[in-house]
Amino acid sequence: MNYIINKRSSFNKSCIAIFVLLISFGNFSCKKIDDVSSIRLATEETNWKTLEDARANLLSIYGLLRSATVADNAHWLMGDLRQGDFAITNRVDLKAIVNGKLNATYPVINRITNWRAFYAAINAASLFIERSKEIHALDPRYTKLNNEVDIAQARMLRGFAYFYMSRIWGDVPLLTSSHDGEFVKLPRTSQQKVLAFATNELLAAAKVVPFRYGGTDPIMPGLYYGAGWTAWNGVLFTRLSAYIILAHIAAWQGNYMDVANYSKFVLDNQSTQVSVDGANSLSYINIQALTENENSSSPFAYKRANLMVGFPFEAGNGLATANGHIEQLTLAAPFIPKATPEMFVTKDSINKIFPIPGDLRYSINPLTGIYRTNYFYNSESERPIFNKIKVIYPSNTSGDVTLFSSSMVFSRMEEITLLRAEALAVLGQKDEALIALNKASSLRGITLISSPTTDLIAEIFGERRRELMGEGWRWYDIVRYNRIKNSNQVFATKNGQQMTFKQFEAAGGIYWPVSQDVINANSSITQNSYWQ
Amino acid sequence: MVKIYTSVSFTLFLSVFGLQSLYASKTGYKMPDKSYFIVQQDTTKAKKDLSNSIKTDTIGQMVKALQKFKTVRDTINIRSSASVPNLSLQQIIKGNLAGVYVQEPNGEPGTEQSMLVQGASGLLFTKRDIYALQPAVYLNGVPLVQDNPFAFDVQKYDYNRIGPATNLLSQIDIDNIQSIAVVKDPLELAKLGPNAANGAIYIVTKNARGGLRDISLNSYFGFVTAPNVNTVNGVYENNFRKPFYQKYASAENYADYASYLKDSTNTSYYGPSNWNDLYYKNTPIVSANLGITGGGDRANFRFYGSGTENAGNADDTKINRYNLFFGINMAPFKWFTISSTVNAARLDRFRNKSLRDRFAETRYIPDLSSPLSPNSSIYGGYLTENEKNVDNNRSSILNGNLVLSAKVNKVIISSSLIFDYNEGVRDYFTPSTLMDGVSYVSNYFGYSQRLSVNNTASYKLEINAKHTVDFEIGQSLQGDTYKYNYARAYNGPSDYVKLNLVDGNSGSGDYLNTLAAGGFYVFRYIDKERNNLMSFFGAAKYSYKNLLDVSLLLRRDGSSNGQPDSRWVTTPAFNADFNLKEQFFKDNTVFGKLNISAGWGRNIRIFLDDRYAAGPQYRSENGWFEEPTIPGYGGRLGINRPYESGFIGYGITLPYAERTNITLDASFFNNRVNAAITAYNRDDKNQIIGMPVPFETGYGLNHRSGMNINNKGLELMLNSLVLSTPNGLSWNTIANVNYNKNELKALPDGLTEVIIGNNKLVVGKPVGSFWLYTNNGIYNTNAEVPAGRTFNGIEMKAGDPSWVDYNGDNRIDGKDKILTGDRLPKFVGGWNNTLAYKSFDLNFNFIFALGHKAINQYEATRYGFINREAGNDINSVKEVSSWQIFDNEKAYPIYNPWSDVDAYRVDQSLFLENASYMKLRSVTIGYDFGKTSLFKKAGGNLKRAYLYATAMNVLTITDFSGADPELVNYNGYYDGANLTIPRTFVLGFKLDL
Repeated sequence: MNYIINKRSSFNKSCIAIFVLLISFGNFSCKKIDDVSSIRLATEETNWKTLEDARANLLSIYGLLRSATVADNAHWLMGDLRQGDFAITNRVDLKAIVNGKLNATYPVINRITNWRAFYAAINAASLFIERSKEIHALDPRYTKLNNEVDIAQARMLRGFAYFYMSRIWGDVPLLTSSHDGEFVKLPRTSQQKVLAFATNELLAAAKVVPFRYGGTDPIMPGLYYGAGWTAWNGVLFTRLSAYIILAHIAAWQGNYMDVANYSKFVLDNQSTQVSVDGANSLSYINIQALTENENSSSPFAYKRANLMVGFPFEAGNGLATANGHIEQLTLAAPFIPKATPEMFVTKDSINKIFPIPGDLRYSINPLTGIYRTNYFYNSESERPIFNKIKVIYPSNTSGDVTLFSSSMVFSRMEEITLLRAEALAVLGQKDEALIALNKASSLRGITLISSPTTDLIAEIFGERRRELMGEGWRWYDIVRYNRIKNSNQVFATKNGQQMTFKQFEAAGGIYWPVSQDVINANSSITQNSYWQ
Repeated sequence: MVKIYTSVSFTLFLSVFGLQSLYASKTGYKMPDKSYFIVQQDTTKAKKDLSNSIKTDTIGQMVKALQKFKTVRDTINIRSSASVPNLSLQQIIKGNLAGVYVQEPNGEPGTEQSMLVQGASGLLFTKRDIYALQPAVYLNGVPLVQDNPFAFDVQKYDYNRIGPATNLLSQIDIDNIQSIAVVKDPLELAKLGPNAANGAIYIVTKNARGGLRDISLNSYFGFVTAPNVNTVNGVYENNFRKPFYQKYASAENYADYASYLKDSTNTSYYGPSNWNDLYYKNTPIVSANLGITGGGDRANFRFYGSGTENAGNADDTKINRYNLFFGINMAPFKWFTISSTVNAARLDRFRNKSLRDRFAETRYIPDLSSPLSPNSSIYGGYLTENEKNVDNNRSSILNGNLVLSAKVNKVIISSSLIFDYNEGVRDYFTPSTLMDGVSYVSNYFGYSQRLSVNNTASYKLEINAKHTVDFEIGQSLQGDTYKYNYARAYNGPSDYVKLNLVDGNSGSGDYLNTLAAGGFYVFRYIDKERNNLMSFFGAAKYSYKNLLDVSLLLRRDGSSNGQPDSRWVTTPAFNADFNLKEQFFKDNTVFGKLNISAGWGRNIRIFLDDRYAAGPQYRSENGWFEEPTIPGYGGRLGINRPYESGFIGYGITLPYAERTNITLDASFFNNRVNAAITAYNRDDKNQIIGMPVPFETGYGLNHRSGMNINNKGLELMLNSLVLSTPNGLSWNTIANVNYNKNELKALPDGLTEVIIGNNKLVVGKPVGSFWLYTNNGIYNTNAEVPAGRTFNGIEMKAGDPSWVDYNGDNRIDGKDKILTGDRLPKFVGGWNNTLAYKSFDLNFNFIFALGHKAINQYEATRYGFINREAGNDINSVKEVSSWQIFDNEKAYPIYNPWSDVDAYRVDQSLFLENASYMKLRSVTIGYDFGKTSLFKKAGGNLKRAYLYATAMNVLTITDFSGADPELVNYNGYYDGANLTIPRTFVLGFKLDL
């Protein structure tokens, strides 16, 4: 078994040399292990270092909040279905919502009643508020002002998220810092405290954020993250956005004096976004922009200043999606290749809601003698198609690609003007309220002439119902309307027991149940009393 | 168990080729002339013979370097397997290796299959989980790299991984295989290192060798056969729905009656149901290969080439496989050898045309209100449109090694360079006519690559005749890279444009702009991941005569996928073998052998994902359940904490596997009976699991270390030559029976239970348990419902299922769900028999899996048709194959399908079924003409001319009510969407010259 190496051969020696070389070729250095870092993610070592990090982290807060609001079409399922104007064709989960069975065990209901996505946005905002300062110290391109404006946006988004959640669930846990890496279990905080926090955050932010980003705004002139106002309008929350959200929080709390003030600020400052910095102006939109994706001002089809509070989806940025838009629920043939819509407004409801001749949204067109199709197609049929919002890839009003890119629109000029009208009407300033109402509806071809018997508040809410149909407002408008009216009529029935709105609200019925998953994960969360 | 020590030694390496080599090994059982199988041989003696009988050991040395496993008992009976037209390694192994449970959930050829060695070491709730449970597969010492599941990050549905999703272990061609063994021994696994934390399958191909020229030519031809099905049409479906409507429907419900069933004169749905004529087909399969071995003692080679066309019996599914293998050994000097093998394979897969798989790929669900017609003339039109599809799925595989070995005095130094590269390409196009006017194209290119350098040195110290110590040290560096580029795109300009073209003119404004007018709407994904592993080990084996062997191994591994402060781990392993025969029964003639061995070893497990190494991190996770891949906001990338996939903190340490094995093996009656019994205990500790955290933190999960899973089991193996008469009948039987008990031992932070989606893990229960409501009949009237009873807050009514209220609070909710049933079988095994008479032989192989359950989701969706059809989501898809009924279908209670409690939900015991089965997997009858006088006269150098006929998947015995109990998905759900495993008949020959 013993072999003797042939020492005479130099060839042998070189073989040994090659052999040894080959062995050492398996480098013994531990660097091969320690120097491999992931190229798929950013770590604590790599994030919060540069201007680009600030931008990426800030925009993600918007993205997360957009996802939270539109996931599973929740914005519309929660806003437009409860006692709303829509009837359901087949989907049993949607029927359950319409029938007020919000605790039915359907996957979609379970997902939309889970508030995690909102808290993801809140956590990202808190983290940004806490960490983005580090960048200012490291990257000279990231100015103090830029950082302050960014933090103000994060606070605004966090405040908005709390308000949005609180409208849905009432009392929600209030987390005001990121608790990064910790997993705290907090109980619900009273809605009053949550909204007070949100209000303070927004007021503070409103003092910092500019009216325009990347333009000639004196607060923050110059390009913002290398882009001008044309790129950022309709994308980022501005000072006007802050006051709109403040107005809505105040309205939800019944604090109409503040609503009037905040909304006045917004309307008074419309000019800050009119004919400046090359972007399309903030304006009241005509019916073409509202329903036919008119390019210069449609807040649904394009990112425009008219998207005052909301989140765009841009087909050009790869963001046309199937889910997350009302089109998925309401459109069908001939707009998209789909036999029946998932929900529609019945013929009877349409005629009840749109009684006014000359209403450009829905009425008989005197020129043709047939019904206008701006809001409803085939309105005389059993299943009219609600086609007010129809942004089909890329921004067409019909097409085969059932990927949609309509924005989630929370507020636009008409909406905030109507809110102002509502506030003024509640405060008894009827004339001014009427002016605001007619301002909002003038481009729809209708003008209200008030008489002493006119129920101005009902008219304002009627206009909101028409103008904002399919924009996720109906349920919250019903709540505010009933709070104002405080009627003794039966509002709802639970287990055979009839309730007025006041009783219904006191029982917690205006809020949604929270998913059992949320309670399983945090035992200190209690179910909303109405749904226990 | 198959008790052939093929992987053991050089002697046996030769032996499988021809009987002559059997005689060379004196301890081999003297076989009757006409039988083909080889009975187990005593390893230690065989090794001794080796050293005496072979003078120039150079090449043998090298071969031994490849064949590390000297104590392995569990190998495949290659002889009998070679006549069965299996496509994949998993199919070859199924039922034939002790302790290995193979899942073949789809009869579509080339689809992914799973192997679990000695139970599941992790969770089994999603397809992704299965990747982490697979054993390492070594081909000629090359640890094959598998597809990385990270691609699921960008997928909405996990039915198939993006890309070709071809089972890469389909590359194994049995006719070029020398041995397939399962490695479960703790010491041997520790020697293999972290790759083998889940066990290992060790494959050695036939290789170059010196001596006689050797040519083998094998081929078969046959058919996969269409099953007999009972087809139904709209009449059946209508009648099926009638009782639900009669019992529960309101006028509104009647008004919403499924539109495709409304008109009974509609021949699309009420005409003849003969879709099966076009769907199921008898399809030919064919394979041919040629192997040539030649050369002398100092330089020799082997070449092997093969082509195989395999097919499924449904939906025109096929796979073509081409293999090329080349191996050389050279000994330029007596002390130095170089050897190399290169193995190349190409797999072209022709996939199914099912709606579900298409919509899952396109992530685009058109209007589903009209399902496919059961009528062949209309269904045929659909198939014609399908001809416009492009669906290229190509996997190209190249792996091999270069081994240098030198023997300097008593020191053997060996160095090997090992590589495995496989790349998958998929081009998919589906025309607008199949998706409501929108065409779709997707392109995938991905590769997995592994490069490794191993160096070992061994030294044998013979202290005296009684005491010897073998020393071995080694070092290795392994680098893995995984990458893919994937783009999916919608709405091309026409169905003739099947490519996603961009403007290549750099002067143009639309240069490379995929969103340019008229083009497709494109979504792009790229990802890449690297993982390096560095290892050092030292081992010593002390032998006392041939009575006692004690081995010790110590290794240190560093993984770049571990967190920086814990990526280096030292692990030990021990083993002791005691020869009882030598000690106690030296003169006993009953025992030919009696050994007991015991071992313990620990191995770290490396993460498949590099995320855990990074600690707290930021990713681009902006989407939601329905739209998981939203990249950012405002046209710019966004990064945020991984709220969707879960927080990853510091302090995550590498998991590890600990195994204890005790084996008693014996041979009796002149080696005619070999038996072994193994008891094992396997602990997979410190594993990572996403633990639910309060959702108010923004996260759903926090990934924590600390999950421990235990598998205990017993393995029984028996190999017996029951009958043997010279020139007469002989009967050899091989059986293996394996019992496994799985138990969750611990969860992070001392928790005892955790809910993960629709599953629950409880310490002390198997991880594969189902978590279900218990059915207890139906509430026929409202009066029968206990007053105030609710289901998750919903008032229960007549027509709702009566679920057991375990905690007695009159509220049926998650607290009333119990853990029941197990996804994994308690017993698996097989029984392989060969009867031989003169030149005839007959082989039949049974396999079984017992004691596991499955949820019949197919029936749940069939009965829950109201919810299914209302949804228009991926679960609403009705495949053409659902126009049939099965013989042993069960009848379920008629619940109210409109009820808000979702009466036909899957998480109830109603749909839980026993999925145990036993199958007659193959029957082969063959005749060897090589020994007939005809051939003897003609040539004389013909070693074997074997003609055989094989039938596969002949018979299934089961209580399961679906098509086949094997077609249950990894998560334990039978959804009826997978293609059937075909009954196959082939006729083939094997020529050895």
